[in-house]
Amino acid sequence: MSAAATALRMRGISKTFPGVKALSSVNLTVEFGRVHAIVGENGAGKSTLMKVLSGTYLPTTGTTEIAGVEVRMRKPADAQRLGIRMVHQELNLVPDLSVAENVYLGRMPRRWGLADKAAMLRETAVILDELGATIDPKARLGDLSISQQQLVEIAKAYAAAPRIIVLDEPTSSLSEHETAALFRILRKMKQQGIAIIYISHRVKEVLEIADDVTILRDGSMIDTRPADGITVAEMIRLMVGREVTNVFPKTPSEIGAPVLKVVALGDSYNFRNVNFEVRKGEILGLTGLVGAGRTELAKAVFGLARATEGRIEVDGKPVVIGSPAAAVRAGIAYVPEDRKDEGIVPSLSVRENISLPVLRKLSRFGRVSMTADRRLADKYTKEFSIMPPDPERRIGLLSGGNQQKAVLSKWLSADPSVLLLDEPTRGVDVGAKAEIHRIIGELVAGGMAVVMISSELPEVLGVCDRVIVMRDGHASAPVDRAALSEEKIMALATGEEAA
Amino acid sequence: MTDVPIQMRQDTTQDTTNERFRGGSPLVDLLSRGGLAIAILAVLVYGSLTSPFFFTTGNFVNVLTSMAIVGIVVVGMTFVLVVGGLADLSVPATIACGAILSLALQPVIGPVPAFAAAIALAGLCGLISGLLIGYVGINPIIATLGVGTIVLGIVQAAVGGVIVYGTNPDTAALVKSRLFGIPVIVLIFLAVAIIGHFVLSRSYWGRWTVATGGNCSAAEASAVPVRAVKAGAFVITAICSGLSGALLGLTLQSARPLVGTGYEFSAITAVVVGGISIMGGFGSVPRAIAGLVFVQLLTNVMVLQGVRTPVQGFVLGLLIAGAVALDVALRKRGGGA
Repeated sequence: MSAAATALRMRGISKTFPGVKALSSVNLTVEFGRVHAIVGENGAGKSTLMKVLSGTYLPTTGTTEIAGVEVRMRKPADAQRLGIRMVHQELNLVPDLSVAENVYLGRMPRRWGLADKAAMLRETAVILDELGATIDPKARLGDLSISQQQLVEIAKAYAAAPRIIVLDEPTSSLSEHETAALFRILRKMKQQGIAIIYISHRVKEVLEIADDVTILRDGSMIDTRPADGITVAEMIRLMVGREVTNVFPKTPSEIGAPVLKVVALGDSYNFRNVNFEVRKGEILGLTGLVGAGRTELAKAVFGLARATEGRIEVDGKPVVIGSPAAAVRAGIAYVPEDRKDEGIVPSLSVRENISLPVLRKLSRFGRVSMTADRRLADKYTKEFSIMPPDPERRIGLLSGGNQQKAVLSKWLSADPSVLLLDEPTRGVDVGAKAEIHRIIGELVAGGMAVVMISSELPEVLGVCDRVIVMRDGHASAPVDRAALSEEKIMALATGEEAA
Repeated sequence: MTDVPIQMRQDTTQDTTNERFRGGSPLVDLLSRGGLAIAILAVLVYGSLTSPFFFTTGNFVNVLTSMAIVGIVVVGMTFVLVVGGLADLSVPATIACGAILSLALQPVIGPVPAFAAAIALAGLCGLISGLLIGYVGINPIIATLGVGTIVLGIVQAAVGGVIVYGTNPDTAALVKSRLFGIPVIVLIFLAVAIIGHFVLSRSYWGRWTVATGGNCSAAEASAVPVRAVKAGAFVITAICSGLSGALLGLTLQSARPLVGTGYEFSAITAVVVGGISIMGGFGSVPRAIAGLVFVQLLTNVMVLQGVRTPVQGFVLGLLIAGAVALDVALRKRGGGA
């Protein structure tokens, strides 16, 4: 394969669902041996386009050529036969099988009609080695970390000797360290002439790895450019269609007395001897690699998980937090990382979600006051400009960013003095992200104490007043923002001294 | 971990499929909203055309009376399904508990205290199931089956496995009496249904029940006491079936330990046919009762037509399978309701 040959050419691809035009006349050309990034906000059409490419959707109009030959893919198996492999973010792996069995799932090497386990283990070891991953092919998949599982998913795609690999948000559960490792693998695959399509929200990362960038907005292709001549600001402008001046605006606020104090807290497994305090009007960042114990710590403070040692004080008084209800009484609120699983009840309306933690307060003789309930929902729908501005709409139908705003509203309705935010902007688009930051800024300006867990270092550095870095269950001392840099945080998070 | 792409895909497909669901096919929309009303109407029309007895006051009073006993259980069972508790299989035991105790205790403590004690004890059985399910985390099917079997065993042993007869004919007369031409037992059922509907749709406990069924972890993270809410659904069902059993005992003036057999399936059938999701998070008492009305009318028509019992069972079985399949299909199209 010559490096400049065209792997994929999609021309005039449109996809219409009754009432919605998801894609309108998109052109995409991807070369062998290059990394082609596709960026865009939520709902820009990236996923629909990839579903067309993977054979899940048949386009309404348009043609697809693979290596110069026009093809018509009616089902995912057609795309796989043509050498197209998808690496989904939701991993399509079987936790109870071994790494090797997962890599060869559905196409095990056979000998005399039986699975040839030895060959499978051998081949898997070779592939993992080629990818530079140190994973035991015999290990049970479920015992691996999420990032290792992701590597297995990539190995699985790679083992099929694909011509085109599509990676859908591959780094959303990876730390910066692991992202770097992934990029090494991608570069290796690129050298072998594989065409790589890289879908991501993370603009900076895209510029680091991609050779070409295609920007989608509202189902249309805005532009395709070489990654060299484009800046972060420009790309964001193209994605959102307007200039986002400051990605992480910091609202100045007055810092007051400590509100929440955590003393020697530990759960004897995920985190140990954690000490910190958050003050009125302050945003305390909590960062570190995935698996460092950040979420477990936040859950323990909120009463969703049990701490076995240490104590928690609110306003100088020790509190016992055995359940979320107790945490709410103590003035603590928690916006979970996993919005879909822990943040929203998708079948309920926005209104019913918002009032959930305060239902009892809105009730008299057990009956929920609909007037108070509606008033609350209307207030936040307006204040946070939740779109569409209809509190009766089922929350599951809202976009990620608007769901997150509703989840925030839910907790503000409980009027907490401390707000724990776990990855509050993960999976929301650039515009909504800025808005969530603005809301957080207003909250601290109003005297709330905020603990924000985030893996996104620019966000941590941009928004937080002080930062704690966690590593293997241990927390560093809080460091002032002024004394921090991305390099410093990474050094603390990985335990490696910055060079 | 929030997966960005899942989010994105859900955003686009949910919206589009929902559009298709709503805008594309008014027929599907009509069926999902008013399907049951149409079905009930169809049975009414068919019944009145094919049988001269169908559209008579006497027949309707019969249907209502036989509906009342199982209907009270349906109200409770609605809570169990909505909270995501699958089903309560201890209903036959709690009904037996209610029927036998309300009769057996009459000579000892008098009719009214016996009635109350019977219901309270049934509620206690529900509390045990509820604690096992909500707090210990045992599968509801296993827990209620286990508790039901044990309770039934105790009740059988207590009465020595024989039939208990009533000693106070006044109580039977009271239950069988009519107010404005409506049997008292039907009025009790209506009262229970109205209270159940109010609790599920208007009270914070009801909202908690729906939220817990819709997404238990999110409800828990929203300071909803999910364990208590789950346990509560089983207590509510047990109290309902205790009441139902007590009324049954007083009506029949006799009770065997197996008096409640089959009521659990009748109740589950009604709730499921009413369109309440077996996965929880969605449903209302009026819907469940509409399901019950449909099933009862259909059975009534089949009886009047002389359809044999095995065939009746076959039809009801098809109905449950159809209702569940429809639920699954609507869930898929509606984007994971």
